[in-house]
Amino acid sequence: MSSGDRQPRVDADVFAIDEEIGRDLARVDWAATPLGAPAGWPQSLQTAVRILLSSRFAMWMAWGPELTFFCNAAYRRDTLGRKYPWALGRPASQVWAEIWDDIGPRIDTVLTTGQATWDEALLLFLQRSGYREETYHTFSYSPLRNDGGALVGMLCVVREDTDQVIGERRMATLRDLGSDPSVVRTEQEMLAFAERQLNRNRRDLPFTLTYLFEEDGRARLAAATGITAGHPAAPRTLSSTEPGALWPAGRLLEGESVRVALDGATVPELPTGGWPEPPTEALLVPLPRQGGTPYGFLVAGMNRYRALDDDYHGFVELAAGHVATGIASARSYQAQQRRAEELAELDRAKTAFFSNISHEFRTPLALIMGPLEELRIRLHGAERSVQEELEVIRRNGLRLGKLVNSLLDFSRIEAGRMQARYEPVDLAAATADLVSVFRSSMERAGLTFEVDCPPLPEPVHIDRGMWEKVVLNLLSNALKFTFHGSVRVTVRTEDGQAVVRIADTGVGVPEQEMPRLFERFHRIENVQARSNEGSGIGLALVKELVGLHGGTITADSALGEGTVFTIRLPFGSAHLPATAVVPAVTSTTEVSTSAEPFVQEAQRWLPEVAEPATGVEPDPSAGEEFRFGHRRAGTPARVLVADDNADMREYLIRLLRGAGHLVDAAADGQQALEIARTEVPDLVISDVMMPRLDGLRLVAALRADSRTAGTPVLLLSARAGQEASIEGLEAGADDYLVKPFSAAELLARVRANVELARLRNHHARWRTALVDSLQEAFFVCDEDGTVIEINAAFTDILGYGPEDLRSGPVQPWWPDREREPEAHRRVVEAFEVLLGQSHGSYTVPVTHADGHRLWVAAAFNQVDDPDTGRRMVVGTFRDVTAEHYAVQRETALAALSVRLSQADDLTDALHGVLDELRKLWRAAGVMAAVFDGAHAPVITATDPRLRWDALPEQRRRGITALRDRPLLTPVADQAGGAGIAVEHPHGTMVVWIDLGEKRPFTDQDQTLLALLAGHLGQGLHRVHQIDQQRETALALQRAILGPAQLPAGFAVRYAPAARPLKVGGDWYDTVELPDGRIGIVVGDCVGHGLQAATVMGQLRSACRALLLQDSRPGQTLMALDRFAAQLPGAACATVFCGVLDLFTGELRYSSAGHPPAVIAHPDGTIHLLDQGRSRPLAVRPGLDRPEADCVVPARATLLLYTDGLVERRRQPLSSGIAHAAAAIQSGRATPIETLATDLMDQMAPEGGYDDDVALLLYRHPGPLELEFPAESTHLAPVRTALRNWLDRCGLAPANAYDVLVAAGEACANAIEHGNRDSPGGRIRLRAAATADDLRLSVTDTGRWRPPQPAANTHRGRGLVLMRALMDTITVTAGTAGTTVDMQARING
Amino acid sequence: MSTPLSLATSRRPDGTPVLTATGEIDMSNAAIFAAALADAVDPEGVHLVVDLTAVEYLDSAGLAALFPHAECIQLVVTPLLEPLLTISGLADLTTVHRPGPDQAADSGG
Repeated sequence: MSSGDRQPRVDADVFAIDEEIGRDLARVDWAATPLGAPAGWPQSLQTAVRILLSSRFAMWMAWGPELTFFCNAAYRRDTLGRKYPWALGRPASQVWAEIWDDIGPRIDTVLTTGQATWDEALLLFLQRSGYREETYHTFSYSPLRNDGGALVGMLCVVREDTDQVIGERRMATLRDLGSDPSVVRTEQEMLAFAERQLNRNRRDLPFTLTYLFEEDGRARLAAATGITAGHPAAPRTLSSTEPGALWPAGRLLEGESVRVALDGATVPELPTGGWPEPPTEALLVPLPRQGGTPYGFLVAGMNRYRALDDDYHGFVELAAGHVATGIASARSYQAQQRRAEELAELDRAKTAFFSNISHEFRTPLALIMGPLEELRIRLHGAERSVQEELEVIRRNGLRLGKLVNSLLDFSRIEAGRMQARYEPVDLAAATADLVSVFRSSMERAGLTFEVDCPPLPEPVHIDRGMWEKVVLNLLSNALKFTFHGSVRVTVRTEDGQAVVRIADTGVGVPEQEMPRLFERFHRIENVQARSNEGSGIGLALVKELVGLHGGTITADSALGEGTVFTIRLPFGSAHLPATAVVPAVTSTTEVSTSAEPFVQEAQRWLPEVAEPATGVEPDPSAGEEFRFGHRRAGTPARVLVADDNADMREYLIRLLRGAGHLVDAAADGQQALEIARTEVPDLVISDVMMPRLDGLRLVAALRADSRTAGTPVLLLSARAGQEASIEGLEAGADDYLVKPFSAAELLARVRANVELARLRNHHARWRTALVDSLQEAFFVCDEDGTVIEINAAFTDILGYGPEDLRSGPVQPWWPDREREPEAHRRVVEAFEVLLGQSHGSYTVPVTHADGHRLWVAAAFNQVDDPDTGRRMVVGTFRDVTAEHYAVQRETALAALSVRLSQADDLTDALHGVLDELRKLWRAAGVMAAVFDGAHAPVITATDPRLRWDALPEQRRRGITALRDRPLLTPVADQAGGAGIAVEHPHGTMVVWIDLGEKRPFTDQDQTLLALLAGHLGQGLHRVHQIDQQRETALALQRAILGPAQLPAGFAVRYAPAARPLKVGGDWYDTVELPDGRIGIVVGDCVGHGLQAATVMGQLRSACRALLLQDSRPGQTLMALDRFAAQLPGAACATVFCGVLDLFTGELRYSSAGHPPAVIAHPDGTIHLLDQGRSRPLAVRPGLDRPEADCVVPARATLLLYTDGLVERRRQPLSSGIAHAAAAIQSGRATPIETLATDLMDQMAPEGGYDDDVALLLYRHPGPLELEFPAESTHLAPVRTALRNWLDRCGLAPANAYDVLVAAGEACANAIEHGNRDSPGGRIRLRAAATADDLRLSVTDTGRWRPPQPAANTHRGRGLVLMRALMDTITVTAGTAGTTVDMQARING
Repeated sequence: MSTPLSLATSRRPDGTPVLTATGEIDMSNAAIFAAALADAVDPEGVHLVVDLTAVEYLDSAGLAALFPHAECIQLVVTPLLEPLLTISGLADLTTVHRPGPDQAADSGG
């Protein structure tokens, strides 16, 4: 064959460029292809093959009528897989048969139009690893022409993006799963949320099933994506013990992950998810629970087009982890919710109780009132006293009925069972009619009663019954508290609403009481009123009733001037429940019987018309007829009765007169006092609660007056709350009676008291009794501050009795000066106020006798002792510990939240929180032990030296026992400490507070600790979650960023913004161009987060591909302009793009609005690359971009960076750049990797970078790295390479020669012992330069031969030469080989 | 690839024998150099001039070949090699010349 001679030569030429691929290409039977034998190939084909083979970027090409397939080594490695070498020389349509539908049309386009194609991350299913594989490729097909210029083939430059695309997709799912779980409240909501997120990634998770373990060990299907619950593969419940089940729940219960193969036979009709075919495998992972069995497990159908590798496995586990965390949060929240509901349930029970008891009262009441009415009719005309008593029964029956009805109304409102009937009513007329029933009472009270109710434009919907209660309550209130002036009722239209005002000129409401005016059972004490009777529910009921009408009630009041209640009701019925609205039915003039009790009650507050209240003469006949007359009083006495309830007053009068006493009566304490001063009675019987002057004050006033100081007083009270404090009195003489009492008892006590009083003066007794009956603590101290008297309440509150009092100001309840200096200081200050001012008040911390802390609010007055004339201080105080701690709790919670939110990680959070707890309890130390399953718990403590092993055995046992107790249940220790178990992300955590002294840990403290611990547990989980999220985010960002392999001489860094940690849009890149030069790129996209990272990834890929097509930086940036203009979020990114010749150091660059690169010369001068600058990307696409040239000199350092490195608040950018330049200038003698680390450290602001930072460093020339067989024949080429490199380092010839010889000697030595010990050994030579020195290392695989001059003179001589020629020599001998490190300074 | 080295013997007009080495001398070819030296040296006769002017690399292997003959040879070297001879002590044992038109200048002078 004539071509037989030529063929080998051509083969060698075309295919020899790549040894490996070339060899396999040469084996192809080319003659059998349309291309024929290579000898006959046209020049254009040969050139194309050469370009292909010499490129290190993945490429393949197709040529000729069948589009015969060629590829290079990079393509084989990245993409071709098992198809190599089968694919070589075959038609491309066979090679890529499985994706021909995708790529065939593109190739046709190239071949018909000559236009190149561009596809970004195109999904292609490749059959290259034994299965159809999901892959993504960014590639460009460009046309190839033959020698005649005709289109005959195409070249594909391709980068595989599979890892990046899949990585971003999984990252998105994990981020979505982890996104703001605070909106998720219940487990159901949380599972639905997770379901939505998992469902969005049907490619990685074609279907998922979330099973939760029930208490009985079964697993219940709680969520499913991509598959319907109840499908054969998605049973609604699973047994964990059933052996043949599809999903082995039992193994997951034990925390295992399980892979389950799915085939169509066992599980027919599986859903396919985001793919055409169903999964062939499922991965089951547990939903981990800290320190317990899993919550359940996640079944994930696997993408059949991806191998189930570590990444995939890890992704599914992270997803399950997120679901588990969500469940943990939801369950914890649910538990709290349940506790709140239990409290609400208690409240409901209370309401139900009131409701029931009210009903129970109504029945007997009805049975009293009914027969009573009969009796009244029947006994009409009977004697007066009988009629009067019947009247008393009737009035009080009505009153009791009113009270019960009010309570019942409340129960109904609370239970939502108030049956309202809202009818349209002429509100003005209805109100006027209603109030008219009060007219006579008002007039009898001497008040002007004004009713001004002009007709309103339209009716108002009201429930008549309710409205009556509203108006009557308010009117009766007005009458009760008004002594002079007027009560005025008006009805108006204001702002489109009906407004009813009831205004009085009464006593008014103190300002501090206004907020609680409408509070149920709240009564305003010590206010002058016509009667002290009242339940404290009237106004509260009014407010509820007005609220049911969709209206509002407000009160304005000024003390001593009066009160105005304003009710606003909307017109129409739109605001009312439609079912409760009825047409007008009731006659507008009728006032229901409910007004009767109100009017009756009010009448009794007013002066009697027929009977004057005072100076009642004894009726001689009354005694004879008296029904209770067991026995006449031994000695008739003059008795003064003071009671504001007329019925009670009259009852007492009748009783006492019946016993033969002379009786005076008064309607309140003031009146009684006046009577007593006029004529001193033998005995005073007084109610405790009275308007104007109450019983206790009456007693005090009587005692203060020497004439009445010895008069015995018998107090009557119905207030159960005071019974306790009265017990002291009851032990002695009977001068206190609790209602109800029997007539006989009263008379007996009257007699006894009168007689006793005549025998001795009760003054001292009374004083003590009075003081002791005070509910507030009472004290008297002398002018030195010595406490000389205290009452029982004082002892109750502080735990110290009179026997504990000390002389001098410092009392045992003062906080300790040494241990609690702050509390001590407050008491001292308060004490000065006490002695220095005539009156005042203060709140101070004091110490109870048992050691616990109390807070008391005290008020005091200075008085002069009438006997001695000395100045005394009299004071009272009240225990406000609960209020104080409520405030403290809020403060502590806030402080804890701040600590948790500021923490960078779990450890930091825990440290902060422990510190906060220590301060809060003024504890000696606080520690946390986390039981994460290891032998000993992990200890964090306020004392950094604290070790678990060093703790006393008893403490260790105590803490371990706490671990096993229910969570969030505080346990206090007698020895002065308390602990609680909290859920920590790594396991159960026990927090132990060491008070350091025998100090009680009170109930208050325990409540606070439980509250804080609950908060802490949640907070730690949140911190942990954020921790994990940012780890994941950062790992994925780094995976997207930068080339895995950097060319020699480069160092790169990326750091995210530190606080809050944000990944972002900065990147660096190096691109090995086909001509051997290196493209270097540093860029910065606008913004942070996933969006910016995605834009960054695309810009980076595009810039890479563009540089490979056209290695001019300006052109590259212009093309990138066009790309960025199409990519949302890419506009205004800044990029520095350069192309560097590694041999000459020549750099051509162009900057799109990016900060200038910096060159630090070996002599220390700095050069900024501030030419070739133009606008950021996509600002004016199409406009030319300038380029500039420069040379990176030998041993100079080049720095590219993003603005995060240099930008600082309130500093010009130029100062940051100068700072960075100075840093590389001073580090120019530092190895490049070390310099990169140093630079990032030096430039970091305190607290870390505010913005993300990318930087790229290069020192010219890059290090030389050679590896060669340990044979002397290789020495010459190694020397040549080293000589060239030294030349590029700019070394003077003599300097270079020294290095050459030293290196030669080291290599020769390595060959000698390399040959001796292991023939076929290899030698590695590495050389790197900094600004002013050179470092060389020669490493072999043998053992260093110690110099033995006697045996081998010239080897020894070699070492002498090396030492003489280099500055330092270090020999490191190890078992694997020997390394000689040499260093030489560079001269000049 | 072996280290390039060519050796030639000649005589000066005055009859002095000259061994001229061109290339590089390292352990791979030092034996050849040593053999050529042994051939050219005449211990009894006139000192052999070893002209290393065209030697671009010489290390301890080359020096080891020169040392045994130190007393019977004169060396002609470029300044590049001179420090090597001094460090190794060879310069003390033998006469070293700089290359020059006369080729006779003594390095010591």
